[in-house]
Amino acid sequence: MLTLAKANQPAMSRALARRETISGYLFLLPSLLFFLVFVVYPMIMCVYTSLTNATMADGGGSLIGLKNYVDLFQDEIFLKSLVNTVIIVVVSVPTVCAFSLWVSARIYNMRDWACSAFRVIFYLPVVTGSVAVTVVWKWIYHYYNGVLNYVGTNTGLWEKNINWLGDPKFALGCIILILFTTSVGQPIVLYVSALGNVDQSLVEAAQVDGATDLQVFWKIKWPQIMPTTLYILVITTINSFQCFALIQLLTSGGPNHATDTVMYYIYYSAFTLYKYGYANAMGVILALCIAALSAVQFKLAKSK
Amino acid sequence: MKMKKILAGAVAAAMALSLAACGGGGTTSGSGAGSSGAANSGAASSGGSSSSTNEPAGSDLTASLKLATYPVGDMTNEAVVKDLIADFNKVYPNVKIEPMYLDYSNGDQTVNGMIEGNAAPDLIFEGPERLVANWGAKGLLVDLKDLLPAGTYDVTTSSCTSADGAMYELPVCQTAHCMGINKDLFTEAGAMQYINEDTHTWKSTADFLKAIEAVAAIHPQVGVVFCGGQGGDQGNRALVTNMYGGQYTNSDFTRYTANCDENVKALQALVDVNGIEFDPGIVGSDEINLFCNGTLAMATCWNVGAAKSDTQGGTANFEIFPVAFPTESGDPVLQGGIWGFGIFDNGDQAKIDAAKAFVKFMTEDEAQYSKLVEATGYWATRDVSGLYAGNEIMTEYGKLVPFMGPYYQITLGWPEARTAWWNALQRIGAGGDVKTELDAFAAEANAAAEAAEAA
Amino acid sequence: MKSGVKKTSPYQIITLILIVIVAAVVFLFPLYWIVTGAFKTPEAVNSAVPEWWPGEWTMRNFQTLFDKRSAPLWELHVPLSEWFTSDNTQVVFSSGPVLPAALRWLINTVFMSVAAMILTCLTAALAGYALAKKRFAGRAVLFSLIVAAMALPKQVILIPLLREMSVLHLADTIWSVIFPIVGWPFGVFLMKQFAEGIPGEVLEAARIDGAGELKTFTTIVFPMIKPGVGALAIFTFINTWNDYFMQLLMLRGTSVLTMPLGISKMMGEFGQDYGLLMAGAALASVPIIVVFLVFQKYFTKGITMGAVKG
Repeated sequence: MLTLAKANQPAMSRALARRETISGYLFLLPSLLFFLVFVVYPMIMCVYTSLTNATMADGGGSLIGLKNYVDLFQDEIFLKSLVNTVIIVVVSVPTVCAFSLWVSARIYNMRDWACSAFRVIFYLPVVTGSVAVTVVWKWIYHYYNGVLNYVGTNTGLWEKNINWLGDPKFALGCIILILFTTSVGQPIVLYVSALGNVDQSLVEAAQVDGATDLQVFWKIKWPQIMPTTLYILVITTINSFQCFALIQLLTSGGPNHATDTVMYYIYYSAFTLYKYGYANAMGVILALCIAALSAVQFKLAKSK
Repeated sequence: MKMKKILAGAVAAAMALSLAACGGGGTTSGSGAGSSGAANSGAASSGGSSSSTNEPAGSDLTASLKLATYPVGDMTNEAVVKDLIADFNKVYPNVKIEPMYLDYSNGDQTVNGMIEGNAAPDLIFEGPERLVANWGAKGLLVDLKDLLPAGTYDVTTSSCTSADGAMYELPVCQTAHCMGINKDLFTEAGAMQYINEDTHTWKSTADFLKAIEAVAAIHPQVGVVFCGGQGGDQGNRALVTNMYGGQYTNSDFTRYTANCDENVKALQALVDVNGIEFDPGIVGSDEINLFCNGTLAMATCWNVGAAKSDTQGGTANFEIFPVAFPTESGDPVLQGGIWGFGIFDNGDQAKIDAAKAFVKFMTEDEAQYSKLVEATGYWATRDVSGLYAGNEIMTEYGKLVPFMGPYYQITLGWPEARTAWWNALQRIGAGGDVKTELDAFAAEANAAAEAAEAA
Repeated sequence: MKSGVKKTSPYQIITLILIVIVAAVVFLFPLYWIVTGAFKTPEAVNSAVPEWWPGEWTMRNFQTLFDKRSAPLWELHVPLSEWFTSDNTQVVFSSGPVLPAALRWLINTVFMSVAAMILTCLTAALAGYALAKKRFAGRAVLFSLIVAAMALPKQVILIPLLREMSVLHLADTIWSVIFPIVGWPFGVFLMKQFAEGIPGEVLEAARIDGAGELKTFTTIVFPMIKPGVGALAIFTFINTWNDYFMQLLMLRGTSVLTMPLGISKMMGEFGQDYGLLMAGAALASVPIIVVFLVFQKYFTKGITMGAVKG
């Protein structure tokens, strides 16, 4: 390492280069230690285990090559959970982005207190925590004595109680709604700040030229808040991909796997079916999906 | 040795101070792998920074154990469990036992996670379907045959013994699972006529279905076939198999036969009858709660423990009447529950010895055993004089115990079959064809049984 | 107010009304339902006709919540202590009386989030500065490793992590949740972005003045990246508080649980007692909501800043 440093930077004196290297690594040391021990090592182990048939009884298992990966794509439940995960992402990401932009556009130029109040309200579910939010929604959705069924049947919206979380037709939608409430807080905060930073002189110039509000928005504001939009897309996608707590606490993947997500199926395979190697293979696939999506979105951000 | 201790104390203190500004006297407690050296008991064993003076009194066993209990009667009631541990600690003061409480929704995943992390609980309190058919079969538990108290009922003993002859569960208590009905509602609907009140049985399956229809006329929700998970599935299994005399497994517990015609007929009847719904949103414990708070008129996951519980039967403001599952023959086969201790082999003989000492202490002496059985709320697995004498509820529910059938929950591949079962019920509830789905269940479960046999 | 705000159009009024309705029904109502539900009697909770406002207020739910389980007020397992004691025992500092476990869970959650926050900020600030301003061999490789790791979902490493924790004797201790969060490279990345803004001349001047590396860091670098550290602190705090999956896998014993875990365990044990569950949810959420409301401005700023640079 030290000789490399010397060779790379002939301009620096040898002593200085050495000092830089040592101090650099000393500064890095605490962080590096945690990073290598608790992130890099388990990542390597995850990939390795995914190539084995490790189960609970035999711990390490033996290498079986790519068999887990091949099996995965013949596993109906895995494919179903992959489809469900994609549905969650495809529905929730655009909805979260559109809703938060719509709300932000309306509240960003309101009086400070009003704007803050709205921001706080939409951020509340994030602060409350996913588990507490899930518990109360489970009660709201309750088949026999949930508020939703009470209101629905009494206003005549539907005839008799609906088993929201027990009916494959509704369960995933109900989960997406909760996910939505815990996801829009941050985008709204970000959009409000981004819209506040839009160059006002351009807006005014356009208004003088007689542009309508809608034109001002699309032609002037939208391009300027593009980086924020991309960031929101990335974080919302990643969050939706990792949807787990809602599934575990509300439906355990049921009814009939209608709400299985990849994250939940990983947990289920590992701790109910004892297929550690298999679960890790799923983890690797999930990681690849997310990495690919993030890469695409970063690329887009760069090109703009 | 001394140097090492001082160093340890210094390092420990420095770490604690730098990581958390926490005051308070530093006390240390032993734990972790290899924490004890049972042989060299002369020296103070607590180690670390504080100087300890207490000497081992009654016994030279030293260990720190985790006791995990599933909700069997009061076995997850902290006060009761800690009281039992306190009894043990009077004799074995150096065995520290830390209880942890599991539930039937997530308990398995919790224990499996601990096993995966090489930190399985040392002691566990549950039934043969987990101890014998699952963790025992995977070679994770210790054979407890040498601890079996004399006089334990043979039928119990065999249910706790695996095919290879090892006893992975030391039986403590047992019960028969039954149904519970809301007698007030049934009386109001004129449905008590379908029940033999003296023997606690239904007159026939047809009468059972008539009763459901009658109650459904005055109470929208009579009962459910819950299938949100495996919790309490002995209830819906027993209901289905009893109605027309079907079987769930073959008689030597090697394959699943739940797709027999009798069961298809039974499930079809449950699909068709008014007042019973398939609910994939709840499990057995939820059904009990919904029954006790009056939402449902009938529970299929009922037993004497639920009847006596302050949080379940104790909250009901109506009369609960226990009844066996409906049959055509008039000869119900009830699902038994047998619970007891298992000991995980964590590779530390000292811990195993201490855990065995605990089990022995709890079950050998009749007085201590009675106290333990009362804590579980169920019946003893050997003759114990004076237990539950004059207890009305126990006498009433005791009438159902003779109906107890074979304990088939130790069939090979049980954990996988369980999952396949509630998934099949979910599909049937969502409109799937009963025969097709039961066949799918049998195929899946038998594949798991074959895999388990091969292993 | 900014210029260019015209009279409110009918469209804007309708939008506002819609937003208010959504906010009230979907965002505020659940919270209201938690807080009122926590004080309702079992009859009111189980009734098919909801009680919009508790007819009878009861503390029963909180009493049950507190009576169920108990734990010592405070215990701290010293990480890695087994490696230094003669007989491989853990060193555990404990103090305080035995309390209802729910309070301990709250303490655990706060400790976990604050410890993760402090450790992350500290290590990330040091590392981010080194990556931004130090020229040393292996820098580029390290940095790309960090960026690559950042794009991966944290959850996938948890199963191997579980085994690793048992080897390190950290299983079932609060550290098993804290350390992986500290190791997560986002903080380093964020701090590097902030540290790049420090002019090289300032550092050069300090060196010429004879300031040591640490002194340079504490007196010059740290004050300049302080806003970034604040943003990272808030980020880490919220993420740790909400990282249910990690907690679920790592923590099990009654006294090491966190508030979200405690509630999810109660859901398993007392699934239909919604009064009790609401009491738990209220205990878990109300304190942090109060903190959030008090420091609302900083939260907003932190979130925005973290995103802009991240």
